[in-house]
Amino acid sequence: MVKSIHIEKLNYVYQSGTPFSHRALTDVSLDIEAGSYTAIIGHTGSGKSTLLQHLNGLLKPTSGNLTVAGNHITSETKNKELNELRHHVGFVFQFPEAQLFEETVLKDIAFAPKNFGKSDEEAEQIAAKMATLVGLPDSVLDSSPFELSGGQMRRVAIAGVLAMEPQILVLDEPTAGLDPKGRLEMMEMFEQLHQEQHLTIILVTHQMNDVANYADHVVVMENGGLIADSTPQQVFSDPDWLHKHHLGLPQTTAFAAKLAQQGVPFDTLPLTEKQLAEKLAELMPQSGGELHG
Amino acid sequence: MDKMLLGRYINGESLIHHLDPRGKLFLSFYFIVIVFLCNNWQTYVLMAAMVMLFVKLSDISLGFFIKGVRPLIWLILFTVLLQIFFSSGGEVFWHWGPFTITDQGLINGVFVFCRFVLIIFMSTLLTLTTTPIEISDGLESLLKPLTKIKVPVYEIALMLSIALRFVPTLMDETTKIMNAQRARGVNFGEGNLLKQIKSVIPLLIPLFVSSFNRAEDLATAMEARGYHGGEGRTKYRKQEWRKNDTLAVILFIALTVTLIFLRN
Repeated sequence: MVKSIHIEKLNYVYQSGTPFSHRALTDVSLDIEAGSYTAIIGHTGSGKSTLLQHLNGLLKPTSGNLTVAGNHITSETKNKELNELRHHVGFVFQFPEAQLFEETVLKDIAFAPKNFGKSDEEAEQIAAKMATLVGLPDSVLDSSPFELSGGQMRRVAIAGVLAMEPQILVLDEPTAGLDPKGRLEMMEMFEQLHQEQHLTIILVTHQMNDVANYADHVVVMENGGLIADSTPQQVFSDPDWLHKHHLGLPQTTAFAAKLAQQGVPFDTLPLTEKQLAEKLAELMPQSGGELHG
Repeated sequence: MDKMLLGRYINGESLIHHLDPRGKLFLSFYFIVIVFLCNNWQTYVLMAAMVMLFVKLSDISLGFFIKGVRPLIWLILFTVLLQIFFSSGGEVFWHWGPFTITDQGLINGVFVFCRFVLIIFMSTLLTLTTTPIEISDGLESLLKPLTKIKVPVYEIALMLSIALRFVPTLMDETTKIMNAQRARGVNFGEGNLLKQIKSVIPLLIPLFVSSFNRAEDLATAMEARGYHGGEGRTKYRKQEWRKNDTLAVILFIALTVTLIFLRN
């Protein structure tokens, strides 16, 4: 597989060389394949956001290096070279609605493509397309972003990032503070982008259900280092280990773990409702047979 | 943004940390006044020794204080150079056009430098050892007499404490929005002046919007908790004047007297 992101021995120290210096990342090495859906989980303050900010050059490593979408970054990389990198990495920050500023929704979405050299018409065409993609009605395109509801503002902000047409999409808790419906719609939209446009998605979340439902690669962080780098199946197979590292299980897996304690024989713990239903359906005739036999 | 030291407070349990903020505030201002009494080597050495004593007592490393000087270094150098090149009197070492270097000028330059550093060290000491909330409480009680001439001291103090409390929040917010716009292709601090000014818009507008939203939320939350304004409100944070505070005042009086003696 093609590596989209290759991180080698990355270290980062905040305010290095000052009395406030504080180490946030220690020897992080990680590979992310192109077109994969990676979830980064970990306790608050474990270094997730710091790691993410390296992916589009907002932070440069104190030592170590990384390659993102063909751009090589070390502590010596010049700021000028980072612009090219940012073009390829779309970054949806936590509460991205805070970044809206233009007079109209359309202009705000078109802001990023314009910055990366698209003409005004092209940028607005892309903007209109992205607005539809994130489910914004045409009627709001000419209104001010500040007149919209919180959920709609979030969509405008996300459309503004997608309008850059990135290869890699970094999502930092994109559904924080949304209602259940909005959350599901948002996650389904990212999944669709992942499937159809083969975007590499990197998701930071505390929602284990989302990890189980969408991700194919899970990275667990603690105290600025990686403590697991594997599949969701693997990571969620050991509830005790997760508990020890202050992480939870997806609801389905937690339920299945309880069933397993009662003697239901799962070979692996199911992650999604669908998997659980299938496993149970498989087991049904057997247990039924035993009862009658 | 992270590198700013202004208004930083460093947690500690030192003697200086525990002094009454009113006393500390007053003495810091007073210190600035008496620095101007200095006019010879002995007086500057005495003041420097004093400041070093306070730094030692505060248990904060000298590095922080030196960092405090850094943002003002250009102003200091400018003033010092002005003193050195444009003073007259005394023995002339060098002369060219309007510039002259005299021994008097050099001495004045050094004195001005010392004066700046002493004042900055002292004010850094105040902010490093006093929480913003203590400072605004201290100011409130120092300004209390002004209520007699209808100055809204209570409101000013509340404004001040809210403002101080939101400085770090706004700083975080600024960093966050800057990052978000950078990720969308804005280059802050690059290109020509016009371009640089234009790039501030995507930062300032969201910042204003979020400040107003924050203000509204805060006002509602304060009202929901029964706030009606200053009238009849009690104080939770009590300030206590202790023996050490009196000692500090006595020390400063002694210092002033000595300075007047040493002056020529």
